[in-house]
Amino acid sequence: MALELRSIHKHFGAVRANDGVTLEVQEGELHGVLGENGAGKSTLMKVISGFIEADSGEVHLHGERLALQSPDDAIKAGIGMLHQDPLVFLPLTVLDNFLLGSPGSFRLNRRAGEQALREAADRYGFSFDPGALAQTLTVGERQQLEIARLLWLGARVLILDEPTTGISAAQREKLFEILNRLAEDGMIVLFVSHKLEEIEQLCHRATVMQRGKVVGHVDAPFSSDQLVEMMFGDVVVSEGRPDAALGSTVLELDAVTVSERLTTVEELSLHVAAGEVLGLAGLEGSGQRTFLQACAGLLKPKAGTIRLGDVDLTGRRYRNFLDAGVHYLPAGRLEEGLVAGMSIAEHFELTSGNASFFVDWNGAEAAATRDIEHHFIKGTKESVAESLSGGNQQRLLLAMMPDDVRLLLMEHPTRGLDIESADWVWTQLLARRESGTAIVFASADLDELLRYSDRIAVFFSGNVLRIVDAGTTTPDELGFLIGGKESVP
Amino acid sequence: MNDLVRRLRVPVVSVVLALAATWLLLVVVDAPPLDALWQIWNGSLGRLSKIPDTLIAWVPLTLAAAGLIVTFQAGMWNIGVEGQIVMGAIGAAFVVRELSGPPAVVIVAAFVVGALFGIFWALIPGYLRTRFGVHEIFSGVALVFVASAIAVYLIIGPWSRTGVASTSGTDLFEERYWLPTVGADEYSWLAILVAVAAVVAIAVLMRGTRYGLRLKAVGKNHHSAFLMGIPTNAYMLSAFAMCGALAGIAGTVQALGFHHKLVPSISGNYGFLAILVVLLAGFRALWTAPIALFFAAMLVGSTQLSLRLGIDSSLAGVIQGMLVLFILVVGAWQAQRTRRLARRAETATTAGGG
Amino acid sequence: MKGRRGAALLILLVAFALIAAACGDDDGGTTTAADGGTATTAAGTPTTAAGTATTAAPDMMVPDDFQVGMILVGPQNDRGWSQAHYEAGLYVMEKLGLPEANLIVLDKVNTADRPETTLPDVVADMIDQGADVIFATSDDMRDGIEQAAGQFPDVPMIWSSGDSAWVDGKAYKADLSNLGNIMGRMYYGKAIAGCAAALTTQTGNLTYLGPLINDETRRLVNSVYLGARYCYENYAGGDPDDLSFEVKWIGFWFNIPGFTLDPTQVTNEFLAAGSDVVVSGIDTTEALVRAGQEQDAGNAIWAVPYDYEDACAEAPEACLGVPYFHWGPEYLKVAEDVIAGSYTRDFVWAGPDWGDLNNRDTTAIGWYDGDALAADAAGSLAEFIAGLASGEIDLWVGPLNNQDGSVWLGDGEKATDFQLWYTEQLLEGIVGASAAE
Repeated sequence: MALELRSIHKHFGAVRANDGVTLEVQEGELHGVLGENGAGKSTLMKVISGFIEADSGEVHLHGERLALQSPDDAIKAGIGMLHQDPLVFLPLTVLDNFLLGSPGSFRLNRRAGEQALREAADRYGFSFDPGALAQTLTVGERQQLEIARLLWLGARVLILDEPTTGISAAQREKLFEILNRLAEDGMIVLFVSHKLEEIEQLCHRATVMQRGKVVGHVDAPFSSDQLVEMMFGDVVVSEGRPDAALGSTVLELDAVTVSERLTTVEELSLHVAAGEVLGLAGLEGSGQRTFLQACAGLLKPKAGTIRLGDVDLTGRRYRNFLDAGVHYLPAGRLEEGLVAGMSIAEHFELTSGNASFFVDWNGAEAAATRDIEHHFIKGTKESVAESLSGGNQQRLLLAMMPDDVRLLLMEHPTRGLDIESADWVWTQLLARRESGTAIVFASADLDELLRYSDRIAVFFSGNVLRIVDAGTTTPDELGFLIGGKESVP
Repeated sequence: MNDLVRRLRVPVVSVVLALAATWLLLVVVDAPPLDALWQIWNGSLGRLSKIPDTLIAWVPLTLAAAGLIVTFQAGMWNIGVEGQIVMGAIGAAFVVRELSGPPAVVIVAAFVVGALFGIFWALIPGYLRTRFGVHEIFSGVALVFVASAIAVYLIIGPWSRTGVASTSGTDLFEERYWLPTVGADEYSWLAILVAVAAVVAIAVLMRGTRYGLRLKAVGKNHHSAFLMGIPTNAYMLSAFAMCGALAGIAGTVQALGFHHKLVPSISGNYGFLAILVVLLAGFRALWTAPIALFFAAMLVGSTQLSLRLGIDSSLAGVIQGMLVLFILVVGAWQAQRTRRLARRAETATTAGGG
Repeated sequence: MKGRRGAALLILLVAFALIAAACGDDDGGTTTAADGGTATTAAGTPTTAAGTATTAAPDMMVPDDFQVGMILVGPQNDRGWSQAHYEAGLYVMEKLGLPEANLIVLDKVNTADRPETTLPDVVADMIDQGADVIFATSDDMRDGIEQAAGQFPDVPMIWSSGDSAWVDGKAYKADLSNLGNIMGRMYYGKAIAGCAAALTTQTGNLTYLGPLINDETRRLVNSVYLGARYCYENYAGGDPDDLSFEVKWIGFWFNIPGFTLDPTQVTNEFLAAGSDVVVSGIDTTEALVRAGQEQDAGNAIWAVPYDYEDACAEAPEACLGVPYFHWGPEYLKVAEDVIAGSYTRDFVWAGPDWGDLNNRDTTAIGWYDGDALAADAAGSLAEFIAGLASGEIDLWVGPLNNQDGSVWLGDGEKATDFQLWYTEQLLEGIVGASAAE
């Protein structure tokens, strides 16, 4: 008896989030699902738990094919999903929360509910008090509450999507303990993470995904080298990188400490020269974004200095960074770059640098039409940003960039793009570089990092583990560094 | 053409639905529907003598709506506009009561001070929003109550009529400080001129200028706008200030051109109603003028229901409420539809282009 | 996105509130105007007192299209001031033999309920519709009706409770020759109300729920006070100086949430401070309703409502009686004069028909004993009324001091109409504001 996925396909536009995923998990198995952000893990879990419907493919549980059209269908079939942010009504008590999604009739059976809650708590060692208010619970305890509720609803398959985000080490240990006990009771547990060590510590078996596909299944004990290799795939560094003459130092960081929420980058010293491309490697959330935002003037360092050329910009406003020639293109193209609801022409006019009080719309539209052609954007001057594909959004963003950028900071320049767009993006970037722009970009794509960078800074849990010369580094070495291993075994 | 049809769909469908529901309601309460609608028409725009009365409601409604266009463009719900009207009226009343001089000077001063009071009252929620992230709806609602309380305090306290403490209002202002009119009982041409100028100016500002373009970016995605180098907080505050100024002018018009004194309910709910006008206008400045006219006609014309047909006048309130509900429902339906279409279109283009 | 949705929800709530508020106005209105007509039938005895005898001249030719416009400040079914006027309008129609439809009524004409409407507009509308005479029935309508009278100098108008037509008054408008005034001498009714309160109180703590502060309202508060002191001393055998008497003003004739104090709240404060009889001076019946709730809960709390003859019906178990207006007789006289083309504007301050205080054809003000008035108190009250009627009891005679200690009436000095009408201060001994601070 098992959970079985057969050839699950799910497309979002041109993006193949799940591209023929097949997977089998036995009863009592703690199964890890591993992959970089965007590998398709979350989509797959949402398909299994009924939040989204697959385009094609089948889900079988205990030999029976399931028709999953809603989370309700899933939970009735015994599949429950624990969300990253457990849905808990804070002003209510633990018991009330537990009863909220209770099975069966309209009438609440408080006593039965309380008993079920206590039984689950005793059995799995949950530590909360049913009468306490939910807002007094820690995130870890809220997860326990949610697990208890899913069990009461009859879940036999439990899906956890990145459950360790935002909980303490002790809470994580507790969670792992509970999951182990659930597996001992014959539960199927799907554990989604991009953290190698968690999978290694907890799971019996793991499936590695990359770009919507299953790369392979691995049994415990795992070798992290193998997992890393599977996560990042085979990298063929083909053509030699075009070398450009490096100019004077554009960006200089001296012992910069900066933090944002959970991530802290400590005492980072680094410099980037004009015409240089610096790649930022590392697992998602290892400090690359924090670093980029500090360089863009969006985060104020707690210590250290940031200089741009001769100018000390430490603690200055974003505006000053802009004026100094810094340009930042974050990962969220439609969230932190373009404005949904505004047309291409309006975008061009917004960033044109014109200062006249009235806008000459005829001129602006003519210019927009020219720019659209020039940058091969598939769209018209009236197209609103959200109607563009990812590739065209990226083209628009690059087209909007002013000419005199000295330092370009970029996250995932080609993520989600088709090959043609990705090539075009790099053609543009390299042309910028030719004219002396320093480029710092973060990427999860080893191929891209190795192919276009001069140097690569590898981030691991908030720190730069090492800065390597891209020309002399192999994909394997880079993969190990990303996984936190200083040396190749 | 197609575009026009799409733009007109929400207002037209909601008005038609509301009229249909009104029809039903009138039948239920045993009133002649056609006659009732005719009376509303005849009591507002259908007769020359009634048009000034309709404009009395139209002017403050339009001014407030024009102001709200700006804050909506900046992505904010300046629900406190009602209180900003009250403060404008208080400012204008202050000038007219305390200052004496040539009427032209005093009236201009009243407009300026009224606008300044409105700006001040609008900047409070603006500041709380940009500095502390307090949502402008909550602070705005609170400030409406505070403004009303100040007006009531002035009316029964320091500005009360001699020997009288009534919330029915202050003494009438000196007649020379009333806004100029053409005929004896006509509404002030100056008030109408101000409202028309405001709508046109706001329409141009929002659509034809860099300020309007940037404000739109701030409103639609202030994160992206900030990254583009637009000082988003300053733009948000300026939008509040502009709306406050227009609301303050609306209050000034109410005080100097209509009531000729300060009364507690001087804002007349026009601020709240203006929110609906702007929603119905789809956030387009020029559309607020005709839609405000429709609302004004409903307001003014419904008096005829009780006068001539003996229908309880609260029915007019029910009709207005229904209209609002239908606008919201149809508007939501339209928005959902647009989103669905957009998603479909997006899928199509991405699939086609990459 | 979230913000938008939240805001939309809020708007939705506002919309519901609009509808609910609009519908809510009907709540009190289940009783139709006809219920009010329980007044005693005409005794037909004209009196020699200040009351004016009126009977519709039977031989009068009443044109079928004669219409009366009546503008009310509150709801026409408020069981108070506005309903009293409305029923007077119906009375006029009945006496003239005209259908109710000839009475054009617009109620709730105030800036809070109808922000977009001005009084001159309403007058113009009514005239346009064919109204031959206009009654503007609130003190609050001074500015508007004076403006309208100037605009339509050929249409007779009445501003009830005003003084614009009083040649000797402070605000005489000589040029508005079509605008007359009508008022009832309610100070008698209020004195009776004060007497009933004093005869009933167990705590000696009387309170007055006041509307706004002006000459009229001060006059009425003083009258209640004088009546209470007289009866407390002469019938209850108490020391009038032991009687505590406080007035609180809500700010308008009726409750406008947000703009006035809440009358129910003020009544609660009175009760909390130990008062057991609340005399109401506002147009609506909140004080009586509260007292009724207290009576139902077994507490000895009473109230005296105001304005409208059937006001006690809201809570008879707590009602000591009601001083009320009969606008009908005077309004009928005006209507008849207008029909005859002989109307000349006048300032009419009509008194009670002492012969029959409740004769709807003859008296301008009246008093009904309430169910809650004890039998012996009722006896004393009747004695008091008889004393007033005969002139044996005159409360408005000196020495009487103002609240600030200055002399209002010297020893033996009788108040003139002018002194009474323009009452500038509350009397010494009354707790509460005489004027706006």
